[in-house]
Amino acid sequence: MSNVFPIQIPERQPSRISPCPILEAVFEARFVSPQPWATMPGLLFAQIREKYPEQNNLPVAQLAEEARRQNPALMLLPQIQFLSNSFVIQLGPRVVSLGTKLNAYPGWSAVAEELGWLVERLKAAGFIGETERLGARYIDFFGGDIFNDLRLGLQINEQPLQGLQTDITTLLHRDALAVRLHVSNGAIVATKDGPASGSILDIDAWFGSLDADLFGNGLARFAEAHHAIKGMFFGLLKPEMLSKLSPTYE
Amino acid sequence: MTTLSLPNRTPAYVLVEGLQEFASVSTVHRTAPDGWAREELLLRKLGARGWGRVYHFQNYYISGWGEKGQVLSPRALDAFFRFMETASFPTGRSTQSVFLTDRGGVELVWEDRNGKSVQVEFTGTGAEFYQAATEEEGEVAVDGLAELSRRLSA
Repeated sequence: MSNVFPIQIPERQPSRISPCPILEAVFEARFVSPQPWATMPGLLFAQIREKYPEQNNLPVAQLAEEARRQNPALMLLPQIQFLSNSFVIQLGPRVVSLGTKLNAYPGWSAVAEELGWLVERLKAAGFIGETERLGARYIDFFGGDIFNDLRLGLQINEQPLQGLQTDITTLLHRDALAVRLHVSNGAIVATKDGPASGSILDIDAWFGSLDADLFGNGLARFAEAHHAIKGMFFGLLKPEMLSKLSPTYE
Repeated sequence: MTTLSLPNRTPAYVLVEGLQEFASVSTVHRTAPDGWAREELLLRKLGARGWGRVYHFQNYYISGWGEKGQVLSPRALDAFFRFMETASFPTGRSTQSVFLTDRGGVELVWEDRNGKSVQVEFTGTGAEFYQAATEEEGEVAVDGLAELSRRLSA
């Protein structure tokens, strides 16, 4: 396996593009806790109820705890969500995340401010022990076939594979950051005008437990993950595609 | 984070039918997205038995066990993997053994080429070790794990 990071990150990156392709962004911390799961939602809600008054149980919460414990993947799923006007907080026995609402990304400065607020509230709630991993995930949507516009593609017999439904997932490493890159030209998303088909660019970047501590370097690590994802996004786009997105630079 | 989904909301996207995988193949074990290298490392250095024990610890003990709700430390587990990256074990001796410790760490025990025991316990801050041949014991921080691994493997 190669350790070379294959995406060239441009030094100069736009501060804004239009239309914004971000479908959803999620900032997640996995953790272990000395507290039983049953106490966690109450401890968190007591800290966030003023901004996040609405809550919903998620379907996995209907399963018996013993059944969830028998399936490790279920322990990483959120079981309850709290909603504000702009964000969603989701909580499970080993995971907490802050997500933006679909098609309503408020910009990094608003996200960073909300993350700072949430981390303080989580600290006050007192149920998070060690951080297991911490990261960010951005999902972008484009109409049409994104493989025509990316510096990424598949080849067969040294010929680019074009015009076919294609789905690529790869895992990259950049220093302490692990990055899962998923690109597909066969995605269907919900829009204000109903379902739309097109392509997604889904970048998920995270730090492991030895490199991240939610209450230590957590905010800095979230910012690093965001910065890395932004760099990869602009590094993957062909210049012709970028120019179509009306980039503005600060 | 790839297992993260938003089950109560419409998923951000779904793939068209032709790109979806509806059935898994029972003969193929798929690792987590970042798990392939780690599983390969364990199989190569600890064999199937050691791989199986660590798999079991990771999946069934990280959420707590015992009367006091002990929790497997993710940092201890990552420290163990960092050590394993540079570890080598003498051939022809008994296989290495892996244990969970009472305080939520991982312990690795093996015999050196003279049949003397070497023990390393991984914790949230690094590792504690004991080498029977020299009666040396000590602690190292996370950034000293690779060096300790090379030294104890020599």
